[in-house]
Amino acid sequence: MRQRDENKIQGIREKAIEMITNEGLENFGINKLAKAAGVSPATIYIYYKDKDDLITQISVDEGMRMCAAILEGFDPEMTFEEGLWIQWKNRAKYSLNNQEGASFYEQLRNSTYREKMVKAIHDEMGKKAGPFMKNAIERGEINDITIEVFWSVAIAPLYSLVRFHQEGHCFKDRIFVFSEKIMKETFDYVIKALKK
Amino acid sequence: MLESILIFKTNITTETDLLIVKAALDTHHQIERWTIDQTDVDCVLRVISHHLSYADVNRLISGLNYNCEELTY
Repeated sequence: MRQRDENKIQGIREKAIEMITNEGLENFGINKLAKAAGVSPATIYIYYKDKDDLITQISVDEGMRMCAAILEGFDPEMTFEEGLWIQWKNRAKYSLNNQEGASFYEQLRNSTYREKMVKAIHDEMGKKAGPFMKNAIERGEINDITIEVFWSVAIAPLYSLVRFHQEGHCFKDRIFVFSEKIMKETFDYVIKALKK
Repeated sequence: MLESILIFKTNITTETDLLIVKAALDTHHQIERWTIDQTDVDCVLRVISHHLSYADVNRLISGLNYNCEELTY
């Protein structure tokens, strides 16, 4: 009986992400992928029924990988400050070390693949982030605020810092380099804003 | 279990071709699932069956006057 070859699947997946990131969705095809990955097209069709299925599965897998990275060491029972800090550290680490993942996500913009990926991420994150928020509200640590407001105050500032770092600056004449010290300084203001 | 997946290069390129093949494959009781990737140059037919061989599917598709060539791994 032929078994799933996880190394082969991983190779196909990595090459597909690389190709979509560099060349976009329009130019992506299974034959091209097979050539680039050094496998027969039939091998790819063993694991994926068509191009749509392949991109969907890879997108959802990438989303799950991101969730696992963000939720590493995170527990919904943690205090609000402790839990949010772990998320900040995990999100920063993931964003700074996964430029290709971020570009891949960008390439999926306006596609149904991205919708499926976002739904998978939302469902997975909701399993832990939902109870975490509920606990924090019940313990009286934070107010019950609109999720978009929460995101804008609690998470978005971190991604601003990441973007400044990737662009090398926020203001034209000032070089900006991300550091844990800067992240903690920003985080402390966020906590002051959110904690009752 | 992967050995029941059969993969073919075909010339089933148009919507009409697809309808003709669909009529034959949908009603075949030994075919569990099948798909054709018409976005690919090889219009790859993928058949999941625990009973049929490459030769069986080849005969079936050839009987509908389409090319059907086994894609090797």
